Amino acid sequence: MDGDSATTDASQLGITGEYMASSHYVLQSQDDDGEENLNDHEDGGIKENYREQDIYLPIANVARIMKNAVPQTGKIAKDAKECVQECVSEFISFITSELYLQKFREAMKGEKGIPGVSVGESLGEDLTEDSFTNPLPAGIITADGQQQNVMVYTTSYQQVQHTHTHSVTVCVTKGS
Amino acid sequence: EEEEEEETPDAKKSISLPVSRVRLIMKSSPDVSSINQDALFLTTKATELFVQHLALSSFNNGSGKDSNTLEYSDLAKTTEENETFHFLTDILPKKILARDYLKTLEQMQEEEEEADL
Repeated sequence: MDGDSATTDASQLGITGEYMASSHYVLQSQDDDGEENLNDHEDGGIKENYREQDIYLPIANVARIMKNAVPQTGKIAKDAKECVQECVSEFISFITSELYLQKFREAMKGEKGIPGVSVGESLGEDLTEDSFTNPLPAGIITADGQQQNVMVYTTSYQQVQHTHTHSVTVCVTKGS
Repeated sequence: EEEEEEETPDAKKSISLPVSRVRLIMKSSPDVSSINQDALFLTTKATELFVQHLALSSFNNGSGKDSNTLEYSDLAKTTEENETFHFLTDILPKKILARDYLKTLEQMQEEEEEADL
């Protein structure tokens, strides 16, 4: 955290917090050169004070997945890697959040619901074996080779007609 | 740089993100008490897919196609334009250099002073 020339600390830049909030900008240092170790985010975020508690996935892993996703010869800017690293934590928190799960349950009740699958109010606590009698048409996800019944939800709460979403999260409850 | 890898018996099911770290992040949410093992695994897998989706969408959508580099601005642009990524809006603001911001600020103040005269 020390010795970092990049700062968004408003007091150090002589700007009050108000200005920063209203303009919705993130300030970056003019000498935004490589600071390999400091920006690893291994000890949590360093850019903004209120994110010091955040936990991130290792940037090397994240960067590798990004590298494999873009075309072979493509490159990835350093701050883009760090940014995605933060987005990842945000993503995980988001799909784990009660707000998101509420949207999911609503979605599953309506037309988007899958035949044979009903969604309980809590994450699997009061779901009974009767709730899952049929395997999903989408396929059964197994982590250890056993047949499981699944709940499926998408990562976007904007309901899309066709399954264009590349990210599908599955919440699994063990069937009998 | 530190790297962690989860190894599973079947290579096809391998994931390249540390499950323990994912679990930590999930647990930091106040809504979560305990985490089903399978849900944890699948969340990790979904996170991988998310990274791929975000990276590729931003790369194709932004200046990356020409410059062949994925930049921060590509991510910010894609987030703004793509409903799927709207939950990222707060942590992906558009960036400007401090000196540009200060210059704009000065200009604003000068305009205010002129208006008062």
